[in-house]
Amino acid sequence: MKKTIIAVSLHMAILIAIIAVLGSASGTVEQEGQAQFTGELERNVVIRILENDTAKEQGYLQELLDAFNAEYAEYGIVAVDANMDQYSDLENDGPYGYGPDVLYQANDRIMRYVAGRHIQPIPVEQLDCYSEISESAWEAYTTEVSGQEYIFGVPVNVQGPLLYYRKDLLPDNWEEDWDDDKNGVPDMVENWNDMYAFSLWRKSQGNETFGYMKSLFDPYFAVGYLYSYGAYSFGNNNTDPSDIGYSAGDSELGGWVIRQLASIMNEWCIDDTITVNAYNRLARGDYFATMTTPDVYTLFIDEMVAEGMTREEAVENLVVTSIPKLPASGDLSEGNPELIDSKMMGGVNGYAISSYTKAPNACLAFVNFATSYEMMKLRSEMLGVVPARNDTVLEVGGLALVINRSLEEGNIIVMPSIKENAQMWTPLQTFFTDVAQDAYRAENEVKYASLEAIKTALQNVDQQIYDAIFTLQE
Amino acid sequence: MKKLKLQPKKLFDTGITYLIILAVSFVFLFPILWLTLASFSRSGSIYSFDGFFPTAFSFDSFNKLFNDTVMYNYPQWFLNTLFIATMSALLGTFLTILTAYCMSRFRFKSRKTLMKTTLVLGMFPSFMTMTAVYLLMTQFNLVNQHWGLILIYAAGAPMGYMTQKGFFDTIPNSIDEAARIDGASNAQVFVKITLPMAKPMIVYTLLSQFVWPWSDFILPSLLLKDKDLYTVAVGLMSLGETEFSRFAAGSIFIAVPIIVLYFLLSKFLVSGMSAGAVKQ
Amino acid sequence: MKKIKTKPKKQTPVLVKILKEGNKNVFASALCMGAGQLMYRQWAKGLLFLLAQIGLVAFFVLYGAGAIAGFFTLGSVEANPWYGTEGDNSVMMLIMGIFAFIVLAVYLAIYWLNIKDAYKTQKRLESGRAIRPFKSELKGLLDSNFHMTALTLPILGVSVFCVIPIIFMMLIAFTNYGGNIIPPELVDWVGLSNFGRIVTLSQFAPTFFKILGWNFTWAIASTALNYFAGLGLALLYNKKCVKGKAFWRLFPILAYAVPGFITLLAFRFMFSYGGPINQMIVDGGGTAIGFLGIDAKWSSRIIGLFVNAWLTIPSSMLLATGILSNMNNDLYEAARIDGASPFKQFTKITLPFVVFATTPVLIGQFIANFNNFGIFYFLRGGLYMDGYFLASDTDLLINWLFNLSIDNNYYSIGATISIIIFIITSVISIAVYKSSASYKQEDTYK
Repeated sequence: MKKTIIAVSLHMAILIAIIAVLGSASGTVEQEGQAQFTGELERNVVIRILENDTAKEQGYLQELLDAFNAEYAEYGIVAVDANMDQYSDLENDGPYGYGPDVLYQANDRIMRYVAGRHIQPIPVEQLDCYSEISESAWEAYTTEVSGQEYIFGVPVNVQGPLLYYRKDLLPDNWEEDWDDDKNGVPDMVENWNDMYAFSLWRKSQGNETFGYMKSLFDPYFAVGYLYSYGAYSFGNNNTDPSDIGYSAGDSELGGWVIRQLASIMNEWCIDDTITVNAYNRLARGDYFATMTTPDVYTLFIDEMVAEGMTREEAVENLVVTSIPKLPASGDLSEGNPELIDSKMMGGVNGYAISSYTKAPNACLAFVNFATSYEMMKLRSEMLGVVPARNDTVLEVGGLALVINRSLEEGNIIVMPSIKENAQMWTPLQTFFTDVAQDAYRAENEVKYASLEAIKTALQNVDQQIYDAIFTLQE
Repeated sequence: MKKLKLQPKKLFDTGITYLIILAVSFVFLFPILWLTLASFSRSGSIYSFDGFFPTAFSFDSFNKLFNDTVMYNYPQWFLNTLFIATMSALLGTFLTILTAYCMSRFRFKSRKTLMKTTLVLGMFPSFMTMTAVYLLMTQFNLVNQHWGLILIYAAGAPMGYMTQKGFFDTIPNSIDEAARIDGASNAQVFVKITLPMAKPMIVYTLLSQFVWPWSDFILPSLLLKDKDLYTVAVGLMSLGETEFSRFAAGSIFIAVPIIVLYFLLSKFLVSGMSAGAVKQ
Repeated sequence: MKKIKTKPKKQTPVLVKILKEGNKNVFASALCMGAGQLMYRQWAKGLLFLLAQIGLVAFFVLYGAGAIAGFFTLGSVEANPWYGTEGDNSVMMLIMGIFAFIVLAVYLAIYWLNIKDAYKTQKRLESGRAIRPFKSELKGLLDSNFHMTALTLPILGVSVFCVIPIIFMMLIAFTNYGGNIIPPELVDWVGLSNFGRIVTLSQFAPTFFKILGWNFTWAIASTALNYFAGLGLALLYNKKCVKGKAFWRLFPILAYAVPGFITLLAFRFMFSYGGPINQMIVDGGGTAIGFLGIDAKWSSRIIGLFVNAWLTIPSSMLLATGILSNMNNDLYEAARIDGASPFKQFTKITLPFVVFATTPVLIGQFIANFNNFGIFYFLRGGLYMDGYFLASDTDLLINWLFNLSIDNNYYSIGATISIIIFIITSVISIAVYKSSASYKQEDTYK
């Protein structure tokens, strides 16, 4: 009996000895820290570029890659399309070797990668575009890591909501009746009070004809009404997640504006019906105006052509402009209101460089090339986006000027770049849905008849976001 | 058998049966018909109809779906999915049937423990384990490869062996025993006797193992990075917001292989023991 | 119907017997796998065991030992991709540690097999029989030990791709993974503190019980609906008077053939304010109804129930069809001769048979419905209701879990809650399963 026990224990002892010895011996080898951007271009490397779908679809990406590859052929540097999902998460891909080397995404996404150091600080002052990009755009990519300030992305274009309307649907006498300031611009696209009145009139004209139509539940577009009356997302310039400010200032007036806007539409504003049918409905003339981002311009034009206009007519009739002004009182039915600027949420899309790239200097060269004057200009021409470079903005003019001015005047508030940003969407969406729904509740079920009720609901939103961020944290 | 005359009662019964069948068919057909017509509509979008159905039809959506492949390579996705689904259905079905057969026919020590364990394991919310699956696959170097997915689908399939075991439990033992007495080994009994008898169950398993990868979205979106390797489900979800027509056409066409498979297999589905070969 | 009973008799455990009686060859095998077999001149088998010994030890030397150590430490060097510092990925170390433990279990199993085998040979020789030839043992693997051969692959696959991830998620509940602590940040073991936090969190309990109640109602209602409707359809299509069965069965198959998330999105649109149903209501002079709106708690729940039925009935019909085809028709013949009514035939013959064959399926469906993530995620996602902590009034526990752990990144809390849910559901289903006929009397129909 003993013999076998001895054998078993001996066997185990050896096994454990092996595990113990090698277990303690195994440790990761620390590598020497090294500066990534030496300025010396890597030779004969392939760098993978993640661009957005529109850039690919409209052929801009191919032009960019071809131009870059021709320029850097002597170094053997080849840039290729990463061919991945435009929203792919570097945190999941990068550490395991599947990520792109250079990625183009929105600022809130890119800045999420900073905490895990998945993207590297970029020596932006080495880039040609450095002085041409405005301070507020750089700010979206600037953050502190262990006490030092770094810039992690290079702004390429600015996204912000715009008003789209059909010029041919204006009343024939608009120059007399709807242009009080006689500036040649219809009042209803200049301030929300006239838009409100005009929409009520159009709604009364017949079945399913509306003035302004836009889904109200979507925080990206709706949160601007709160901003306009003093709300903010996070304190300390959107960097302090413990201070949530959707109920700050007189933001309940913004909630009230939303409720009034809901009443000039119909129940469609409560869910995403309008988001998906706006292109077609505007083209058919059912809607007079809607709000959306600059990059979908061609979709409206395509639909208008499909509804029987020529392309020239469509371009002539579809006008894109900045968001109308709001009444300081929050009362859209007021006759001669004092007006304030509308503030809207926007974003800055840009390039970042993965920390896992083998060729950081080639990547930097690519970013420099892609943000050059010529490429930025080509980009905005081909994709209809608003460039972040000031010189290109001046060249392109029009909408680009409008949006860039808004950004500089602080009327486009860039989405927070901290990762807690992800927790604000659902509480906000619930609030906006609820307020929009309220306009269609039976009288005895109305929840937001008073400004106090709206204020309380907004405080509740702040609390929910706070809970989502902090309750579960240690 | 007695030949019955057509009695009013029987006629009534048949009438009611058909009425119910028609109603059921309508309920199942209607949403599908709606999607199908949407994909053939001129505007290609269910969002711009006035009622349930479009007013003008065209083949544009399908034409675009199959020919405009620069951005969205649907034919390639389709082939990828077909490959993944076929391989995992074959492997998964094999493993499941094998497991079910063993659990039904053999009595061994840890059997009941195994049965209870698998039952309990199935209760763990699957999305919670996705991180782990992903990390494992990066270690096995199977990310961005179809075989990685096939492996997961096939390996996970035996977890659902209970259905098949339930089926084997209803096949009398006496048949196996007769064969055993004739000198067949257990492996031979399985291959020559049990498998042919289990046709309906195999067909059911094949179908469900085929449909799973076909419509799964979470796993492939996690494991496939390269757009050319996408499955149809991932591809459709990656479509831009404005690609309604492609989405509708793509989601209708996705059903075709499953319907074809059903027609190929349907005659086996009901040809178990009732087919007569092994009646007691 | 014959029953086979193979109840093992009470006897001295093999282990004790081996320890008491094992000879020098058993000793050799215990020392090094395969040695004893080689001493019996069983070359092939001995070499196989020896190979396993060498291979497994090599695995532990090269990888396993480090992995097991990593399991306990969860890493000590933080990665810093900026400087190319590779560092430790705690989460990866946890999972590979589990993997190494599983290999260790395999090692022990083979080791035990090896000792037992040497002992068996010893017994054979002692009782005067010759050593069993390798060929005959191989044959045994396809015959008397067929189940062991056959189950190896499935068990291996399930262990790696299902069990490891589940163990991983359960262990996460005892770490601080989540929030700000995500690799490259190092994760640590924190014991039971996550459970403590959940119990002490005042907002947690009310929401938990509210959702739990609805979750059970939902699971029971939808399982019953899907199961009986599926069975009903199968019986309906099986009726003698139905011509063209394959054709009629195609309609439910259509629903089965389109991926669930697509039909869910379609249904969501169908019931939305701008959807065709509301359009018809408005055209007919009514006012639009928010079927899935923010105020529509019960209509959303009921729509969810029916949409889920629409999605699931086809597969439960297919299953029932397969099982019914295996029924012994003699029973009906006999019943008809006895003059039993069709209803009686159904309750006395069909139902017990089908219930017997599908109890595990029923439990499986119950669990699937209990954990049905997709329905309300697609139909009515993106809302947090008053009175609920980060959840909506149609959310099931799994949706809530998703909100907490994925949307808000708290993996360890999510894992903790899923362990709690897991305990509740498994206790119930094991109890049901153990008391069911198909578990207690597995051999009824054999």
